[in-house]
Amino acid sequence: MGFTSFAFFLFVPVIIAGFRILPPQFRPLWLLSASVLFYAGYGLESLLHLVFVVGVAHATAKALVAPANRLRRKTVLYLGVGTLVAALGFSKFGDFALMELANLTGTEPLQTGLTPPPGFSFYIFMAIAYVVDVWRDMVRPASLIQTALQLSWFPKVLAGPIERAGAILPQLGDAMQAKPAQTMLGLQLILWGLVKKVVVADNLAPFVDQAFAIPAYAPPMELLISLYFFAFQLYCDFSGYTDMAIGLSLLFGIALHENFRRPFLSVSVAEFWSRRWHISLGNWFRDYLFFPLTGTAKSHAMRQHMALLAVFAASGLWHAGQGYGVGWAFLVWGLLNGAYVSAEKLLQPTGRRLTKRFPRVMNSAAVTVLRGLVTFHLILITWAFFRAETVGDALTILRRIALALPELPHLVMRYPFSTGHYLGVALIAALLLIELFSERHPLIERLRRAPAALRWTVWYCGLAALLVLGRWGDGAFIYQGF
Amino acid sequence: MTRRMTQTDAPSGPPRPARVVAFVALGLLLYALLYAGAERLTRQMAYLNPVHRILAADPDGQDWIILGASHAMPLGFQDFGAQITETTGLRFLNLAVQGTGPLYHRFIADRFFASHRAHGVIVVVDSFGFYAAKWNEDRFADTDLLARTPFDPLTLRLLARHMRHGVDPRALLDYAVGFSKINNRDRLSPDRWEAEDQFDRAPRPSSHVDRERIAYLFPQPYDAAVLARYLDHLTGLIRLAQANGAQVVVIKPPVPARFAALFPHEDAFDAALSAHLAGTGVTFHDFTAALPEPAFYFDADHLNRRGATRFLQDYLAPLVADQRQSDAARH
Repeated sequence: MGFTSFAFFLFVPVIIAGFRILPPQFRPLWLLSASVLFYAGYGLESLLHLVFVVGVAHATAKALVAPANRLRRKTVLYLGVGTLVAALGFSKFGDFALMELANLTGTEPLQTGLTPPPGFSFYIFMAIAYVVDVWRDMVRPASLIQTALQLSWFPKVLAGPIERAGAILPQLGDAMQAKPAQTMLGLQLILWGLVKKVVVADNLAPFVDQAFAIPAYAPPMELLISLYFFAFQLYCDFSGYTDMAIGLSLLFGIALHENFRRPFLSVSVAEFWSRRWHISLGNWFRDYLFFPLTGTAKSHAMRQHMALLAVFAASGLWHAGQGYGVGWAFLVWGLLNGAYVSAEKLLQPTGRRLTKRFPRVMNSAAVTVLRGLVTFHLILITWAFFRAETVGDALTILRRIALALPELPHLVMRYPFSTGHYLGVALIAALLLIELFSERHPLIERLRRAPAALRWTVWYCGLAALLVLGRWGDGAFIYQGF
Repeated sequence: MTRRMTQTDAPSGPPRPARVVAFVALGLLLYALLYAGAERLTRQMAYLNPVHRILAADPDGQDWIILGASHAMPLGFQDFGAQITETTGLRFLNLAVQGTGPLYHRFIADRFFASHRAHGVIVVVDSFGFYAAKWNEDRFADTDLLARTPFDPLTLRLLARHMRHGVDPRALLDYAVGFSKINNRDRLSPDRWEAEDQFDRAPRPSSHVDRERIAYLFPQPYDAAVLARYLDHLTGLIRLAQANGAQVVVIKPPVPARFAALFPHEDAFDAALSAHLAGTGVTFHDFTAALPEPAFYFDADHLNRRGATRFLQDYLAPLVADQRQSDAARH
């Protein structure tokens, strides 16, 4: 039952109706039942994974309260976190590791057949954050129902945001209720998320799938187009899901954090990853991996660079899974981004000196645009590793594009662009315009103050785009496989 | 720390009920306009769809209608319909659609006889159509097919009636509200099967293509109960035609010998089909082996112009002539 399925459009009103009718004290249980039912749609095995994670997180959090001894607390923490990390690692990489081992030793590969269920990485990370926050005394252990609900909450169980227990748990009590204003905002976010997913991402997807299927046979121009399209497909697919998750949560009075902030307007790779793209994951890695690795803020520069690379490598491994398979390409993707951020850190003093010497030039719009374009293209290169099935395929794509670049004007002139290509470009242009427009004041904020006629026109345009241009029934979101 | 989506971001104050009603009402009006535009475009681009063909046909002007899946479609390709009329002196209305089975054919027959008359019905049966819901119940909910089916109240009523045969209620809802038409990605392309452009070709056969096609046509394993259920729909179709005064001829279409050899459980199908037809008073002709050479086909299994011409001259024309004589003798 995906967010774009017919069944989901029937499921949500029923859950809302139950939520409004039931007395407040029964609402958490009602929402937990709905979440379990929703997730059970992905199979009993998936549900068992979720039950296991909830059980480990709850038991660890409770056990962390009991022992006064610091060493015993630490042991409990390591046991709990270790179990969760091991479960994630084994289900993601168990078969891959066995296959690689068999390749190295030349023996027959053993396979467990285990694959992580949808959203596994997301709720495991939430569970780890919860347990660590309890250990850090940042949150108090919650009841079993609240723990289960915060991890399984159906709008975000498949692909986040990776919400912190401290932010979500206080909202899951008996006082849950949705205010009309939240409902309005929620509906707007659901509509915008649907437009991004069904209209933009799913109209770009067929071009990407075709070119990446056998990159050695696809013309370079097709590979180039598909790489650009993929950047926007992934963004709209994932941020569309997040907008819908936030919007759906608001329908029940639960406020989640922003997970994307117009990432393609970033002027540095560090900005892209830390403040604009999948913010909740970036924050998670910062708080639960980068800071523990670097220790104090004034730690040695080399240690900081190594920690950065380790964080991005871990992020690469985290992304491997059902989405685009398990392979070394994700590790390369992570390390490449880590290298970019490290290089930017090294170049920071030079940048500061240049800004001091040529303030007008360095702060000009032209340099900002140039920095934005360079950032976008640096990240675009890494998407080839993200989307391709193997490192070899990614290198083939980049090599073939690079070799064709000198002939680019000629190739563009001769390429048989279809209506679908024009539609894709128009949708990307419209999206970028809206993002640019929203940079200073988000569109939703502007709409709030706009006359009703304009507000209604925007709503109707969104609905018409869904009806006329939407690709329905294609279903799954890319990130639910990670 | 990132911003949390709270009520402070939300539009000020709850919407008034009157505004909500006005918003919904205006939305419905805009939807109706979109629907009207999409329906108009569907009719402009209509060509292949059987409901369109029925609506466009003279109610009393047909001698024969042809029902079937893609193997019957070449008999209506390009100018071939006119060639059949020229050869036989009779008017044929080809209502075949690719990838359909007896349940869909029964529905189309139902729709045809609800407003039209014909002297006879030729049902072109393919065993694959009797083995899977994919070619029957699921086809009703196929958005590609729904997007090309013009709206017609009688068709809507019959579709509702066919829900008792397992047609998905979503198909009925979609047909009623026209979502697939509004959402049709190919809205500006005519309703054609691109295979029609291959009608004059006769490519070299490929065993790999044959195997792939068989795997596509027979997605489910043989199940006698499923076969019996779809044979009952064929019987229902026959009874419906007979009740409307039409004679029925059931035929199996010609296919290349190498392709026919790959059909799974064809003997069991033939036996079950013969048993079912025994009490219905229809004539059954098996033309599977009539044109075994690949030169008569434009792909793995569909007749090209040469094959269709030979089939018309050697088999179809004599068949309808025989039927005409026996019909005259009967009267």
